[in-house]
Amino acid sequence: MTRWVMVADLERCVGCQTCTAACKEENATPPGVQWRRVLDMETGEYPDVRRIFLPVGCMHCDEPPCMDVCPSTATRQRADGIVTIDYDLCIGCGYCIVSCPYDARFRTDRARFAYGGRPNEAERKRFDERRLGVATKCNFCVERLDAGIAKGLSPGLDPEASPVCVNSCIASALYFGDIDDPQSGVWVLLSQKNHFRLHEELGTGPRLYYLWGSP
Amino acid sequence: MTAPPAKATLKLPSYCYQCVAGPDLLQVRVEEGTAVAVEPNFCASEIHPGAGRVCVKAYGLVQKTYNPHRILSPMKRTNPKKGRGEDPGFQPISWEEALSLVAEKLNAVRASGLLDASGYPKVAASFGGGGTPQSYMGTFPAFLAAWGPVDMGFGSGQGVKCTHSEHLYGEFWHRAFTVSADTPSCRYIIEVGCNIEASGGVVGVKRHADARARGLKRVQIEPHLSVTGASSAEWVPIRPKTDAAFLYALIHVLLHEEPRGSLDLAFLRERTASPYLVGAHGYYLRDPSSEKPLIWDEKRGEAAAYDTPGIKPALEGSYRARAVEIGPDGERLDEGELLGETAFEKLLAHMAPYTPEWASRICDVPAQTIRRLAGEFLEAASVGESIEIDGERLPLRPVAITLGKTVNNGWGGFECCWARTVAASLVGALEVPGGILGTTVRLNRPMSGRIESVKPGPDGFMDYPFNPTDREHWSPRPNIRNAYRTLVPLASDGPWSQALGPTHFAWMFLDGTPQGLPEVTFPEVWFLYRTNPAISFWDTQSLSEKMARFPFVVAFAYTRDESNHMADILLPECTDLEGLQLIRIGGTKYIEQFWEAEGFALRQPVIEARGEARDFTDIATELARRTGLIEDYNRAINRGVAAGLRLKGENYDYSLAPEKAHSCEEIWDAICRAASAELSEGAESEGLSWWREHGFRTRPFPRLEWYLYPALVRQGLRFELPYEERLYRIGRELAQRLHERGMTWWDKQLAEYQALPAWRDFPALWEKSVVAAGGKPEDFPFWLVTTRSMQYAWGANAGSELMREAAANIAGHGGVVINARAAARLGIAEGDLVEVRTPRRATQGRAVLREGIRPDTLLMVGQFGHWATPFARDLEVPSLNSLVPMSIDLTDATGSGADLVRVGLSRLRSRR
Repeated sequence: MTRWVMVADLERCVGCQTCTAACKEENATPPGVQWRRVLDMETGEYPDVRRIFLPVGCMHCDEPPCMDVCPSTATRQRADGIVTIDYDLCIGCGYCIVSCPYDARFRTDRARFAYGGRPNEAERKRFDERRLGVATKCNFCVERLDAGIAKGLSPGLDPEASPVCVNSCIASALYFGDIDDPQSGVWVLLSQKNHFRLHEELGTGPRLYYLWGSP
Repeated sequence: MTAPPAKATLKLPSYCYQCVAGPDLLQVRVEEGTAVAVEPNFCASEIHPGAGRVCVKAYGLVQKTYNPHRILSPMKRTNPKKGRGEDPGFQPISWEEALSLVAEKLNAVRASGLLDASGYPKVAASFGGGGTPQSYMGTFPAFLAAWGPVDMGFGSGQGVKCTHSEHLYGEFWHRAFTVSADTPSCRYIIEVGCNIEASGGVVGVKRHADARARGLKRVQIEPHLSVTGASSAEWVPIRPKTDAAFLYALIHVLLHEEPRGSLDLAFLRERTASPYLVGAHGYYLRDPSSEKPLIWDEKRGEAAAYDTPGIKPALEGSYRARAVEIGPDGERLDEGELLGETAFEKLLAHMAPYTPEWASRICDVPAQTIRRLAGEFLEAASVGESIEIDGERLPLRPVAITLGKTVNNGWGGFECCWARTVAASLVGALEVPGGILGTTVRLNRPMSGRIESVKPGPDGFMDYPFNPTDREHWSPRPNIRNAYRTLVPLASDGPWSQALGPTHFAWMFLDGTPQGLPEVTFPEVWFLYRTNPAISFWDTQSLSEKMARFPFVVAFAYTRDESNHMADILLPECTDLEGLQLIRIGGTKYIEQFWEAEGFALRQPVIEARGEARDFTDIATELARRTGLIEDYNRAINRGVAAGLRLKGENYDYSLAPEKAHSCEEIWDAICRAASAELSEGAESEGLSWWREHGFRTRPFPRLEWYLYPALVRQGLRFELPYEERLYRIGRELAQRLHERGMTWWDKQLAEYQALPAWRDFPALWEKSVVAAGGKPEDFPFWLVTTRSMQYAWGANAGSELMREAAANIAGHGGVVINARAAARLGIAEGDLVEVRTPRRATQGRAVLREGIRPDTLLMVGQFGHWATPFARDLEVPSLNSLVPMSIDLTDATGSGADLVRVGLSRLRSRR
């Protein structure tokens, strides 16, 4: 059984937002919509301060609260764990946006573009009207994954079959793979290093893992 | 220039070199003729140290290409009045009219002589920092070479706001225009203000992440907790501009508190000037007949010339020797039986007062922290270890101290660079695996071969192309307006020197030339490309007012901006994804860009040029043709001015016929063929079509060539440290030359020429400037500093919506970062509108409250303050540049300043 997860190594992430920009470009999200972003957080007080960069987005939870509240069944979970949204079914009620503990969902009601109301050539080509008035979020670049797998490629190893944020990460801080495969990079990382998940206490089973501290 | 056919979906290779931390090799996804996305070029993952990935800025290139604010046709100014408040009245014109207007002006200049009555070039050109515009301006450098004298010294920050002391002294000491840790081998780094995670590019970020994963410890010394500090093991908040005190105390501990035997004594004896004997006047004791510096031979118990075979140099002590001491201008100061101390002995005495307790009071870093860091540095240096590189055994000294902007430029920059390099030499961590490396040369020759630039000079040191200071050759008549050749011997006199002089002087002297220099004049024609000095320099208001007085300005324009607001002609050139150019890649270049491969990469049009934008090469060719310079222009291309590559080599000849105006594709096809031939030693000749398909081609670059040490050993040379006899001599000579002409306004700078630099109260210089501007120091209690934004730095990205959105996730972008408790004391809450002021200027911004900043320091990220650039002008982001004055008093001997200023702070209104 395949279960896709993402791993972010916080010892490597430097908050550069390359993943943010790459995601926005690949997925043609409108201004203000960031399916992937990196938070810049401080803990402590001067002069004993730590500054931490935390990549966040949809956690593709094992028990996604967004799916439970979805009245139209637009939000579903695939067998491989990826949580998807069927834009044709979504009614844009926003319940899922409110229910997500990770602030990972967005809804855009009107077309918005980088420089005002008119799209540039690239935006015009990539514009998808189905995304207006519905919930959107990170889908682990599921189309790339499926297309890559169909070609016999391995997600997490072959860039063509991997999420764009992982491909783009200049610090090699993001990893993707099958947590049920003991041969996968993510399985090895998680078995060897300290890790945690955000809001684990909520019991949603988020599948974005953070490596932190040593070993 | 034609783009590829509009087939369904293509992936086309290209490069991004928007900042000096490039180039990044990328692919552009093009769907039916429209560029839609940038991707890493994983085909380059084996040869690119960043694994073929690309920086955040490159992801903005698609948006940059289709930015609706682009200038897409040539424009002419219709309002003769210039100024911030004047509408230029730009009107579209044809290329024919635009080029005719420019050529007419240029031909008028040629007809009346290329220099004006003061001897300055009538044509000036300004380009953005670090030489990056050269990777986008095609063959325009060949046009400038064909033209003749051009003043390239009107700066936009380069030469002054760069890491300037490091550039000049670094090249002098170890061929290090930029200095980097040998990160792939390093285990311990003390970063003093160096923001490598923002300035080191893809390669820097990848290497440092890898290094941390294998256990490298990095300690960050800086007033605010930068993105680099965030990923460091430790942050040490230091008081601004006191870094030299911290570094001096570090050296004090190494010299006076640690066992002498823990230092790399062999390195000091054999590879530095430490054993040279210094006489009573401060100059080396020399052999009376050969005039070679003397050292004391412990084996024979007598003095000997430094290069006498089989001697054992004494590192410490005073000795008597028959000698001569020669001062400036060859004056024999003393002769006979003279007493000399070793340079190392002098260093010991010089550093004795600089204890950690002394430094602690100045830089606000606890003495025990300084002691601990010095101990960690020494232990990590692993003196005695070695490593095999490319079959040669070299010392392994995996420790580095790296410096950042404002630390290594302006007053105090010399002292910091000297202290850092001396500290490295004490443990032998200079130009060896794991230590600090110079990664490129820009003043020494050849520029593409750092190791080849090592040539024997006087006294057993490397040669250096100083500007002359002797009576016969020094000239009070500068070749350009910023007077680098007259005032800054270290700036040398090569193609990069003009931009490495005091480039603010070109601006300042327009309203008053100091005594002894020819009157500084306005250039008759000024070219601008990929630069916006009205935003990126200091005292931006005054600078804009001066810019408005330039009689004829030609701006290669992407969008309207604050500098081309004063232009007479706007010319739209093909931008990053539309133009054609081949550049050298790999080898060793800026910062962390030292590769194990070298070769070339192509930037190609991935789409049809938008509007009427023209390839820069076509524009340059047409200007050459219309000014009657086509033959000289083609010859310049043939000798490699455009691509750093001669079109004729030992086994090939792709030279352009000189008399003909060639098309852009013909020119770059010839250059591509020459590149193929160079890489294959003449065996192959693939032209443009091959390079368009493959994008890049490399051959191995030996890792051994990252390190200068073997070249010095081979030639029996020494690093010119720790005693700076030559600099001291040159400074005295320069003083005599200037004083002979009655020029005393450079005297403060002349004091920087010291054999062993002493700590001076550098922060007080900025406090004094407050008083000089009519203010009271107590009204301006904060230091305002700035920091690099990876997302915005260079590349005209202030107008990019995507960069704004990405950068907004990083604290501080868009406001004034203030320590939370300091803000509370002033009644300032998050988001409040605050005023930051100097005695003469003020700016406004939103308060961003953070814990990771000293209570006496404010921070403004990046460079903003736009009022003309579309999109950026609506951001209302404050800028340090509007507050920093241009001042001779705040200019150091290299002609550099520093990005900081004393300011007052108050709340204007609450967020609501």
